[in-house]
Amino acid sequence: MTENILQFAAFESFVCPTFWHKLAELKIEHDRLSDAPKPISGHYTNHKAAGCLLEVDYSAYNSSAQPPKFSHNAVGTIYNKNTIEEFKELDKTSLLSAEGQALLADMTSARVLDNPSLLARFFVLSFADLKCHSYYYWFGFPCPLTHPLQLQSEAVRVKDLQNFAAVAEALRAVPSEAQNFFILYANEELESVEVRSLSAALTNIDNTEAEHYYYCFADPSEYEHPAWLMRNYVAFLLMQCPTLLGKTLKFLGLRYDQQMNVDNSLIWKVVQNDACDLTRIENVKFVGWEPNRNCKMGPRMVSMRDSMDPAKLAENSVNLNLKLMKWRLLPELNLEAIAQTKCLLFGAGTLGCAVARNLLSWGFKHITLLDSGKVGYSNPVRQNLYTHADAVMGNKMKSTTAAERLLEINPSAVAKGYVVQIPMPGHTIGEAMLEQTTNDLTLIEEQVHAHDVLFLLTDSRESRWLPTVLGAVHQKIVINAALGFDSYLVMRHGSTRECVGDQGNEIEGLKCIMGQKLGCYFCNDVTAPGNSLKDRTLDQQCTVTRPGVSNIAASYAVELLVALLQHPQRELAPAYYAQSSHKRQQVESTAAIPEGLLGILPHSIRGLLYNYENILPATEKFSQCIACSQPILASFRSEGHAFLLKAFETARYLEELTGIADFKSLHCEIIDFDDDEFDMSEGDENDSGPTTTNIDE
Amino acid sequence: MVDGTLSWTDFLSEAREFLHLSEQLGDGWTLCEKDGNEPNTFLSCKRKVRSKDNGTLSTLISVEYHVVFSVSYQVPMLFFQAHRSDGSLLDVDATWRAFMPEARERSDLFQMLTQMDHPVLFRPFMALHPCRTSDVLAQFGKKSENRILTFISVYGPHVQLNLQNAYGNAIKCK
Repeated sequence: MTENILQFAAFESFVCPTFWHKLAELKIEHDRLSDAPKPISGHYTNHKAAGCLLEVDYSAYNSSAQPPKFSHNAVGTIYNKNTIEEFKELDKTSLLSAEGQALLADMTSARVLDNPSLLARFFVLSFADLKCHSYYYWFGFPCPLTHPLQLQSEAVRVKDLQNFAAVAEALRAVPSEAQNFFILYANEELESVEVRSLSAALTNIDNTEAEHYYYCFADPSEYEHPAWLMRNYVAFLLMQCPTLLGKTLKFLGLRYDQQMNVDNSLIWKVVQNDACDLTRIENVKFVGWEPNRNCKMGPRMVSMRDSMDPAKLAENSVNLNLKLMKWRLLPELNLEAIAQTKCLLFGAGTLGCAVARNLLSWGFKHITLLDSGKVGYSNPVRQNLYTHADAVMGNKMKSTTAAERLLEINPSAVAKGYVVQIPMPGHTIGEAMLEQTTNDLTLIEEQVHAHDVLFLLTDSRESRWLPTVLGAVHQKIVINAALGFDSYLVMRHGSTRECVGDQGNEIEGLKCIMGQKLGCYFCNDVTAPGNSLKDRTLDQQCTVTRPGVSNIAASYAVELLVALLQHPQRELAPAYYAQSSHKRQQVESTAAIPEGLLGILPHSIRGLLYNYENILPATEKFSQCIACSQPILASFRSEGHAFLLKAFETARYLEELTGIADFKSLHCEIIDFDDDEFDMSEGDENDSGPTTTNIDE
Repeated sequence: MVDGTLSWTDFLSEAREFLHLSEQLGDGWTLCEKDGNEPNTFLSCKRKVRSKDNGTLSTLISVEYHVVFSVSYQVPMLFFQAHRSDGSLLDVDATWRAFMPEARERSDLFQMLTQMDHPVLFRPFMALHPCRTSDVLAQFGKKSENRILTFISVYGPHVQLNLQNAYGNAIKCK
């Protein structure tokens, strides 16, 4: 029996993003707290129909509906609730009933005859979470529950009608705005084909003529079944003309194909035998809630954050270049690891600004800057986060100004700046400064704790000591960049993390140093950092470097970090260096260095602008290093600030503690560097000088 | 040797001609004119297509296609943006999955489809990269009757934009 019952293709709601955009705009600017139902309009098309769609877009809220070309108007109502609770708790059955009763009222009055689009009926229950850009919604297509229609025979294509040519011609002549519901009178014997409006044909229906009626409607269904809206059409006809009950009725679902032909429109011959008294409204049941994506009766939710949240839009655009890199060249690139790594920059001068900007370019989001300086007149031309106006203001602090600028550049960054003096060995702290220093120390330690990577970008050698010690104690990744006049040093400090698993592979001609055995900035030194700012003229304290040096060093520093983060062993990744002294062999063995995702991972990069050359030395930890050796770390762990204060008091203390003092006296006599072999050492020596233009320090 | 590039005025006149064909065929293309400046006029149309993503359960998505003039490359360029039935937009990943699931990562096809800022609307849009277009257009040996039509016929099918054969007849009868 069931195959003889006509089934319908359910409406599927199809929402254009602009529908949500307009809803948000109206809610904020017009409706505010009012949640009164509002009339809206939707549309459906029978032109190359896909699925069985009812569409809404921004024009839904217009007072007069203007459906797009080849589309027909649907009449709807939106119930936009103020809270998710109201949305959830609303009685869905009574809402559907109320909507259905309004539909029945339209059917019984003359309104449908004048405006048949009232039969294409829908409503939306919604809640707009404007903060999160989430929209909860549920479409309903109300329809009275009536007895099933008996299908008299298989559906027939219009093309197969005997009088197809005349019918097609008549159908094509119907003006587009009248195509949604109309009646075709086609009397084959009289060879008469004529199109009539619902009101003309149904008011005082002539039962003999009605035998030749095709009840036509624009059918948005692409399936064998007619669209859902035919149900309302049938109910309306039987209500309007009870004499049609028990008679065979021919319904024509008008469907246009790609070539604008009506050939594939379908005709269903149906009979409704059982009367259903729709005038006794209280007995009528309604159906029509749309199932959700899981085919369950329930609402849907869509997050429009990606296209509506300005911050998210910016973020997505910012990440596009990085994503393209991943998609096109490096599918294994882990952008998430980069976005989650928190960087702490010691120094917001030339190096600090350049490193911060490079970090932003790579998609780092958490950047904190520490600096005690103010923006000076000489700074902006080299320090690329400041402008002349900052210097004119006179009191703009570098660290906080730099953080503001980073946020201006990328609003989704998490950038902070702290004005803080970095205590240094050999820079005695007077009684008056003790409290301030203790506060600074506490702040610095907190920040080290809260970050994953420390960048050492200050302008003196001794200011790198404390961050080096803290980095070693707290097992952070430490990247160090230092400048000479036309030379630079960029290095990663050896890790203090426990090594697990895989050891580095020994390769012929290469020496391999594991990440936890690599030295720090101070490991190659035999002096503790003293006060390098003492006894110097002003021009010596200012950075005297070729301007390009800082940008090159800053770029290397960030690229080195990124390469490190992409390595499976991260900071424990081994470094290799060629043991051979012959240049040719060096080149050959360098080619054999195992690569990470982004190439090899050196321990340090020493470069010279003078001859545009880099070398990549790797050195081991020095057991008597004044910054990262065991005695130092042990003293810090047991004494804390007291230990630090002793070190600040006099640099000799560190030398005594590590036993390096004895070592030094021994070496003074025998070390005599050959300049040719150590042509890079010059740049290193200059590192001890101040390296930024910050004359405040 | 036929040059595959076209000037802005060529683009405009051929776009108008294409629009005329579309109107004859009822194909739904429109011409969007922001102002008279280069390249602020482009062809646009909307289509519902079935996403090729996750094979069996294909879902309908709505795609808006734009044919925009590329000033740098002096060729037409295909921009498009797709949204699902709930109004959410497809990002690049989802677009790839929806339109070319068979294209392997880093294949030519994969590299061709990318996200770019729309040159007229200044919003992120999906685009087929124009770097090879002039070569492709030049390959036809003789000058195309309408290069916009040729362009859409060649590039469109990669992103489910298929023109009726009737365009071919219509251009001959013009």
